[in-house]
Amino acid sequence: METNFEFRKQIMDYHIGPDVIKYCYQCSRCADNCPVTDVSMDFYDPDKGYNPRKNILLALLGYKDLLLGADDLTIWGCTVCDTCDEVCPQNIELTEIFTFLKNQSIALGKGPEYLYSQAQTVFENAKAIPSQPAIERRRDQLSLPAVVTPDISEVQTLLKNIGITKKLK
Amino acid sequence: MTEYKMFEGCVIGNRIPFVEAASRKVFEKLGIETSQAPFSCCPDPTGVKCFDNDTWLAMGARNLCIAEAEGKDIISLCNGCANTLRGVKHQLKHDSLKKEKINAELAKIGKEYKGSIDVRHFVDVLRDNLDKIKSSVVKDLKNLKVACHPGCHYMRPAEWMESDDPLRPTNLKEIVSALGATVVDYDEEALCCGSAVTNAYEEHGLANLKKKMDSIKKSGADIICVNCPSCFQQYDTQQRNLSKKFEEDYNIPVMYLTELLALAMDLDASEIGLMFHRIRLKFALENIGIEMRGLIK
Repeated sequence: METNFEFRKQIMDYHIGPDVIKYCYQCSRCADNCPVTDVSMDFYDPDKGYNPRKNILLALLGYKDLLLGADDLTIWGCTVCDTCDEVCPQNIELTEIFTFLKNQSIALGKGPEYLYSQAQTVFENAKAIPSQPAIERRRDQLSLPAVVTPDISEVQTLLKNIGITKKLK
Repeated sequence: MTEYKMFEGCVIGNRIPFVEAASRKVFEKLGIETSQAPFSCCPDPTGVKCFDNDTWLAMGARNLCIAEAEGKDIISLCNGCANTLRGVKHQLKHDSLKKEKINAELAKIGKEYKGSIDVRHFVDVLRDNLDKIKSSVVKDLKNLKVACHPGCHYMRPAEWMESDDPLRPTNLKEIVSALGATVVDYDEEALCCGSAVTNAYEEHGLANLKKKMDSIKKSGADIICVNCPSCFQQYDTQQRNLSKKFEEDYNIPVMYLTELLALAMDLDASEIGLMFHRIRLKFALENIGIEMRGLIK
């Protein structure tokens, strides 16, 4: 186990109003209120299941390899419900820290497949769900106006410049 | 009268457009004016934001620029879109380095993000119109027991959604009560539907949904009322899988808030596409003596 100081600095800087994470005193309000912890933890095997409290501890200590090298449930078990943010007595925006961890996991090519394909679809169509003839007919049947098509090439230019193609598979 | 730019989002616009149909009809009745714009995907706060925060920021900011060019606020029909657009505004307001970076990229496509418009979730707009809603009700819904599920991203994080109590939400319940329906309380009201985790880990997603559904069943609700398309789909499509997995009956129909409003206003069910729901509504409604015009299935 080794502290990665560069990673630790990134974690510290990630928060709006940086450094708040260092006030975590591991009270476990986040894990106690996490819906995924509730259904995935095993009382007799504390290493099993999704644990936001432990992720904050490892991030604070700069244990990058432990976090990003572990079983993918470690990072990707989060369902982004933002409950932990609301119950944290130290006002740590945990979900933002978890967003950073997920972004790192994606950049290493280790994220869940469906997220790479969703990003690919968004890049190609500027929509997460592209228009289909059957849906267009249904919209017509319901007297709905057609969805206005976005400027796809403009969106693609923007996303290419921001570096999305380096992360797509 | 304020005119909003309509942000229907990818799921409602291109997968469950009947929700958009109900929403447009209800807005028209209440005098809420909207117009269209060439918005792209918001993009998804549980998907693209987790993929790459800067991609999420850039795309969200570009959408905000489109509304800014017309000087009009956005009305969002979806928790995810509202959360993204408000979250992008929040990050860009409080992080000048990010704002500089994103604006440098936007400049290359001839745009600049200023932060001059507001993004409103449709529940908040409806709540401002409670009196109009009350006077538009023509059908007696007293017998209809409704379990309200506002979802996560309507009120969390409270810091940038600024809409409701993040753990004890009341806005949706207030609107449903204003329609004359009976709101039933249940223990797991603030619990997530688990849509995002179901994509990656179905086992945990369904275990979470079971907890939610058991609590709703216990309350004796006839329908679940939602204001988010991801939650709508989770309830409308996953209850069947839940029943199979746990060999128990889960079959409570879901209604989008605007569909429930349409029912109270006595609009025709065929015009708002209620027959496209997977879990059929007709039986559940007729069981308690409520008929809806045009509801054949």
